[in-house]
Amino acid sequence: MKDGLKYIFKKRAELIVIYVFLGVVALTCLFPLLWMFGSSLKTQATVFSDPSLIPARPEWRNYYLAWTKGEFGIYFLNSVFYTAIVVFGIIIVSSLAAYGFSRLKFPGNNFLFAMFLAAMMIPLPGSFVPLYVLVNNIRKVLLNTLSAVSPQLAHIMPAGFVQQSNGFILNQVFPRSAYVFCMINVGLSLSIYILKTFFDKMPKELEDAARIDGCSKLGIWRHVALPLAKPAIAVITIFNSLNVWNEYILAQLILSSKETMPLQRGLIVFQGMHVTDYPLLMAGMTMTAIPIIIIYLIFQKYIIKGITAGALVG
Amino acid sequence: MPSLKFKTQNVKLKPKTQSFLRKTFNFKFQLYALRLQLYTFCALSLVILISGCGGGGGSSGQPKATITAWHWMTDRDSIFNELAERYEEKTGVAVKFELYAPSDSYTQKVRAAAQAGTLPDIYGLLAEKRDFASFIIAGHVANLNPEMEADSSVWKNEFFSRAIAVNEFLPDNEFKVEPGIYGVPLDVMNIQMLYNKDLLKEAGIKKPPKTWEEFLAAGAKLKERGIQGLVSGWGEVWMIDCFASNYAFNIMGEDKVMQTIKGEITYTDPDWVSVFALFKEMADNGLLYNGIVTMVNKTAEQLFANNKAAFAFNGSWCVNVYAGMNPNLNYGAMFPPSHGIYPLKIWGGAGSSLLVNNRSLVKNEAIEFLKWLSSPEQQAYLADATKNLPANKNCLAKISPILSEFSAAMEETTHPNIWPVHEFPQVIEAFDKGIQAIIIGEKTAQQVAEDVQKIKERELAKKNKS
Repeated sequence: MKDGLKYIFKKRAELIVIYVFLGVVALTCLFPLLWMFGSSLKTQATVFSDPSLIPARPEWRNYYLAWTKGEFGIYFLNSVFYTAIVVFGIIIVSSLAAYGFSRLKFPGNNFLFAMFLAAMMIPLPGSFVPLYVLVNNIRKVLLNTLSAVSPQLAHIMPAGFVQQSNGFILNQVFPRSAYVFCMINVGLSLSIYILKTFFDKMPKELEDAARIDGCSKLGIWRHVALPLAKPAIAVITIFNSLNVWNEYILAQLILSSKETMPLQRGLIVFQGMHVTDYPLLMAGMTMTAIPIIIIYLIFQKYIIKGITAGALVG
Repeated sequence: MPSLKFKTQNVKLKPKTQSFLRKTFNFKFQLYALRLQLYTFCALSLVILISGCGGGGGSSGQPKATITAWHWMTDRDSIFNELAERYEEKTGVAVKFELYAPSDSYTQKVRAAAQAGTLPDIYGLLAEKRDFASFIIAGHVANLNPEMEADSSVWKNEFFSRAIAVNEFLPDNEFKVEPGIYGVPLDVMNIQMLYNKDLLKEAGIKKPPKTWEEFLAAGAKLKERGIQGLVSGWGEVWMIDCFASNYAFNIMGEDKVMQTIKGEITYTDPDWVSVFALFKEMADNGLLYNGIVTMVNKTAEQLFANNKAAFAFNGSWCVNVYAGMNPNLNYGAMFPPSHGIYPLKIWGGAGSSLLVNNRSLVKNEAIEFLKWLSSPEQQAYLADATKNLPANKNCLAKISPILSEFSAAMEETTHPNIWPVHEFPQVIEAFDKGIQAIIIGEKTAQQVAEDVQKIKERELAKKNKS
């Protein structure tokens, strides 16, 4: 009886220590978010003088001001567009590539995979200039092509329409596509690595069964490998969503017009050379963080599943 | 959600296989639904984006020419665009300002564009003079000398000399750049002292101190009333360096300062000890805000803006900062109180400048626009709207009194970047940290002078060895 009580007491004490420790860690993670939210409800005058986390008189108007002053409307839509397309592109390309690396045996397979891994080691700023030059050269080719084709098109379509279409292609479609392709490129290495590791552990018997039933290689990827890799895809989705959502440097390099810029462009409006409008900046950051928190909440069960189910794949 | 069906266009899996897979993994196949959602979303996004952005080119009148300008100045973007509109109305030449910030990523963009040969017609360069020179040598920057010096240098003479100096390459310069002026300054800055008019009045001080004695006397009066004296971000040691440098010029003159840097005069010289001793005097007279040696400038600005200190040592950007923190702050700018017999020099120089791309197809139009932008009227408007000191000295009467007070001292400025010799970083560090030690009473002025000299000798020996 005494031993039993001792055991229960010991276990509870252990649990208390663990929970206190986890609570402290959780608090340190949550505090910056709470501070950001609290500061977003203060004024420029009280942001440094009011020590309370949530002010007594919250300035909810800051959110409206941040949205309008930062012109978040179009930037928000742009960011959603880029994130969705890039993440979708990365999932398709990386899963195909990873499946190929895992299952198809071809000369230079390992070398090519090693090259992809090596690409992970190159920091993004290191590839800025080559990417910019490449995009610019493609733009020049596109410009020349459009100039050559336009006179012919003007014979069959109204000249104004042709001119407007060319402008639209050069100023909207091309920069957006270039940015999307660059971002897909940036996210591929890690995604291929994660998926290849996953596919390597996948039992070959499943594919054999599908092959017996007449499935092609692409069919096996589509109907067997891809659904099984859902936990890994969830990890890739979160990783890349976060990356694309918060990316700004490459966007600034490739995109030139304000209308094509992502959400981060709205935030810089509040950071002057000498003065930063902290309440509006924090309101903008809170609004920027919400979608990515939602994505995380949606996919977190898959990640946990992915971690626990990882062993079952083999 | 539909469950998994192992079916391709022509192939259907046997029910046994399907059942095996389902039982083994028990997953739901959501890709069809996901794909449908994604297609709908993409189509909707495209429609919105096209309808939102596809307008373009709707203006009825075509501009005579279009100039593209890149900049990083977030707080000036709307003003630039406003001025661009006015310029287009006046001349028919359109100017398209494109903002890329923060400055680090702006610099990346400019460098990448220089390599790709796609620099805009007008741009700013945030770089050391060496990089500036390499841009000029690569043919990316137009020499504005002919325009600057035309009509007896009327354009050039409108600017503060310090604002021009940063954009100028003199004959026989170390970078081998063709002599000339390669940039148009937009604003300038300097570092002075500020005083709180209300607190001085409360302490019975009728006018801001002009001499060191008056400054110490003001400190005593403030102490009596329980008002804190000078606040500054001396935790950021470069500000200490700046303050000390002002008085080094004032006590021993520019030549002696330069001789010290060259190693011809020691830091143990009585004049240098006097410079160090000023900090001890301020500390002993209760003139320094508690905790000043660990204070960052942002905190110092907040304290001064909230009427917590009578004096501040800060840059001209503070006008902007204080306006945001406390628009009702009643303050003025003053030249640091003089101690010695030589002219007191404060730190200052050019703020932002714009350059013209030498390969621009609208180079002349770009130069004309910059002439217009730097004229007194536009400079006064920019200064008023952005609270930065204008680079054009002919517009001082048109700007606010506080900006005018700051600007008036522009010709009394200097900066280590334009000195002919430069001190070793290790010596500067020892110098600044030594002053911090004096303020907190850890060391005497003489001890710090000796410590700094030791490091100076060590560095000189290293240099001579190599």
